[in-house]
Amino acid sequence: MTVLQEPVQAAVWQALNHYAYMDAVFLAERLYAEVGSEEALYLLATCYFRSGKAYKAYRLLKTHTCSTPQCRYLLAKCCVDLSKLAEGEQVLTGGVLNKQKSQDDIITEFGDSASFTLSLLGHIYCKTDRVAKGSECFQKSLNLNPFLWSPFQSLCHLGEKLDPDQVFRLSSLHIPVAPPPPISPAQNPSHRLDTALMETPQDTLELNRLNLESSNGKLTSDSTVSYIDSSLISPDPCSLLANTVSMGSTGSLLGKPNKPKSGRSLLGGPAALSPLTPSFGILALDPSPGDPGYLQNYSGSLDAQQTAPSKKVRTSTAPLGRQEAGRLGTGRLLVRSPAPPSSVTSPQVLSPTLVAPPNIQPRRSTRLFTSASSTAKENSKKLKMKFPTKIPNRKTKCKAAKTANSNLNESLDILKLDSSMNDSKGLSTPGYQSITLQRAATDMVLYMLRELGRGYQALCCYNCQEAISILSSVPAHHYNTGWVLTHIGRAYFELAEYTQAERVFSEVRRIEAYRVEGMEIYSTTLWHLQKDVALSALSKDLTDMDRLCPQAWCVAGNCFSLQQEHDIAIKFFQRAIQVDPGFAYAYTLLGHEFALTEELDRALACFRNAIRVNNRHYNAWYGLGMIYYKQEKFSLAEIHFKKALSINPQSSVMLCHIGVVQHALKKSDSALETLNRAIGIDPKNPLCKFHRASILFANDKYKAALQELEELKQIVPKESLVYFLIGKVYKKLGQTHLALMNFSWAMDLDPKGANNQIKEAIDKRYLPEDEEPVTEDFLYDSESSMTDADDSQLHTAESDDVL
Amino acid sequence: MATPSKTPPGADPKQLERTGTVREIGSQAVWSLSSCKPGFGVDQLRDDNLETYWQSDGSQPHLVNIQFRRKTTVKMLCIYADYKSDESYTPSKISVRVGNNFHNLQEVRVRTYTGPTSHIYPPKNSPIRTFMIQVAVLANHQNGRDTHMRQIKIYTPVEESSIGKFPRCTTVDFMMYRTIR
Repeated sequence: MTVLQEPVQAAVWQALNHYAYMDAVFLAERLYAEVGSEEALYLLATCYFRSGKAYKAYRLLKTHTCSTPQCRYLLAKCCVDLSKLAEGEQVLTGGVLNKQKSQDDIITEFGDSASFTLSLLGHIYCKTDRVAKGSECFQKSLNLNPFLWSPFQSLCHLGEKLDPDQVFRLSSLHIPVAPPPPISPAQNPSHRLDTALMETPQDTLELNRLNLESSNGKLTSDSTVSYIDSSLISPDPCSLLANTVSMGSTGSLLGKPNKPKSGRSLLGGPAALSPLTPSFGILALDPSPGDPGYLQNYSGSLDAQQTAPSKKVRTSTAPLGRQEAGRLGTGRLLVRSPAPPSSVTSPQVLSPTLVAPPNIQPRRSTRLFTSASSTAKENSKKLKMKFPTKIPNRKTKCKAAKTANSNLNESLDILKLDSSMNDSKGLSTPGYQSITLQRAATDMVLYMLRELGRGYQALCCYNCQEAISILSSVPAHHYNTGWVLTHIGRAYFELAEYTQAERVFSEVRRIEAYRVEGMEIYSTTLWHLQKDVALSALSKDLTDMDRLCPQAWCVAGNCFSLQQEHDIAIKFFQRAIQVDPGFAYAYTLLGHEFALTEELDRALACFRNAIRVNNRHYNAWYGLGMIYYKQEKFSLAEIHFKKALSINPQSSVMLCHIGVVQHALKKSDSALETLNRAIGIDPKNPLCKFHRASILFANDKYKAALQELEELKQIVPKESLVYFLIGKVYKKLGQTHLALMNFSWAMDLDPKGANNQIKEAIDKRYLPEDEEPVTEDFLYDSESSMTDADDSQLHTAESDDVL
Repeated sequence: MATPSKTPPGADPKQLERTGTVREIGSQAVWSLSSCKPGFGVDQLRDDNLETYWQSDGSQPHLVNIQFRRKTTVKMLCIYADYKSDESYTPSKISVRVGNNFHNLQEVRVRTYTGPTSHIYPPKNSPIRTFMIQVAVLANHQNGRDTHMRQIKIYTPVEESSIGKFPRCTTVDFMMYRTIR
């Protein structure tokens, strides 16, 4: 039976790798019907999940017992995707009723995939309001695998202050591990792999390896029966690594050009695939210190290595050796050492001789190693057979671990030997180079992650200037990518520098027209700048491109809101919420629309929903404050504004609002102080000065107010409000001419606006006793008391008005 | 909604809405009619379609009652009537009354509709705060008995900026900093 499985499994994996999901599902169903083992179950569930039918995978795994970690992980993932968080948690930790496993238990149980498991668990905890536990899980996950970005991102969103330098670093745990080979498309794995170096979990390595192997070539198994196609194994888990790895690969590692020799290179270029010698699959000619397993294999069949590159045989590495290597996280090292240390040999190699069951395990581990060395194919006839069977999910690590334990020490020795060998012997040069290259690549990846991590963290704490400077200083080829530019744009947006933000975002659109993340911020920027044409173009483009993403509907809503069509905007924001109920910004925007249509209760509910989704969404706290202000509940408004300010301390607009509220609460001194602070933070904000002037006016400090307003006139010469306030000040000072002049200017600039106030202001000047504002009569009355110049001005203003 | 051919510039309610100074609040009110022909009732009066209309079916004066849940500031009432298509059904004398309830209404405006087609506005000098508005058709053109009314919209002034009690700002520079969105 086991023999029968492999070709089928191999075929399934190959189909998956080629995204031919229907084929994969069909075969997997047949295999499961035939065999009914847990492996086959896992394979079938994977096929369903990858083809986008998480519910099928969920139901399948639910109805059959799944005890292997990989099955459980997949089941938990399906649960989370289907929003069954409690169930997902139960699967991972044993649930609320049973004794819960601690995170360390999880780590040991899931082995290599522990980092992803913990990340998933952290996500579940955060969604179910257990933020402390969630952040703990994320931390642990990052400890295990510093190449994961999403736990880091989640931690930043929770407001935790992490030190990216500490997080994205290879710790001693990781060092011996082989770099995670990029799983994916094995086409170029070599590059990536090399860079990945260190950290990766062995599983991934192995997977990668497998991948690489598969992609690279077909296996020619001399001895094995099945048609094992390495490509079948798809290192799913590794993809993340692969991606991160590839980042780092810019340059360095890859520098390692394919060592032509045996046609395998560390990098695993097209030719890289492993040598097919039956003996083992180490590709590289250079010894790879990190890969004792490989080395071991190596030792077995040195000569065989030199086979032509074209044929990649997938050899299964010595299972034991691999395992250990995997465990140690040997990187990919497909380095081949010409002279394998003798010590290394033997027991490890085992591969070919191993019996099936042990082979299975090793295989997994080897997969882990994969890494660039995917080329390194282990060569083991028997192993080969097993090869395709399982994709090593990280979970398999456990088993591998057990077997490998015994050999750990030996592997370690081997490692040391290797390195020493490398150093000492001349032939180590290529190996040494590769190692250094690999190290360099990893370091570069981690450096990138650190930089971006620092920038992102600064942004999440709203240290926008710092974030901008950090993110702008990344290398140009990274700078000109959607992610970096989007976050820089967002930083400008938070600083209320909307023109700059718009510039950056339009660059993002030019570079990555398919990017939707961050487009809602761009749309709000355009809303602030009142650029309706650009906004409607953006809205059309995004809704055409992706109807299922909340950002597109937020953009559409903003577009209609700018056109003052609030009902339609409300409809679109509700659509955004339907599409993704976890998108806090959609609730906030909906709340603003309800506020604009005077449905304050609904607006309150929306803002509260936004806060429920994301506690640190300061826009929603601001929205609540604004509603309370409209309802004249000033102290409540102040509390909420202060809460928003505590989250985003550098927002001058927020400080301005707090100042106004404090003034409304009759705390004018603190109001002035707050406004001074606001102006200090952002001297370009005209509204702060305006409000400061109005508070000074209210406190009868006319001269100071006038001075402020004169300055403001210089900054914003076309704003009618400024003239209106100046007019009022002059009126209070008794300088009628100037007052009237300014009022008429104000009316000039804003003839259609709700100018009853201005008219009333003028009217009251002359007819303080009357209650009804009299328009035409007043004009004639005032004629007599005004100079001709003023008269004519007023006339003009009035006549324009009386359309 | 088709713009009638002779609507004076600036009179089209849609354009008015776009200035952002007024907001249509008919949806916040309860509408009722003194009488109507089946299929030509409140829905047709409020459907944003100038082709459909309300046709009354009783004795004059024909009444449209608009009742709000809370005291609302009303700035403007727009009534669309079209002499070309309605001829003797076109209202000629319209009275607008406000108050707290049916027993408490006071006439605030009487207008005679003269133009061939247009929106009639009885604009008020300053917005009126009221619970209820009643639009009464006192007479039709050519002394017709029943009346057609194609659309009624009711507008409230938009509240000024979210902070401060000042009139609207006009420049984008000011408006940018007005609110956090």
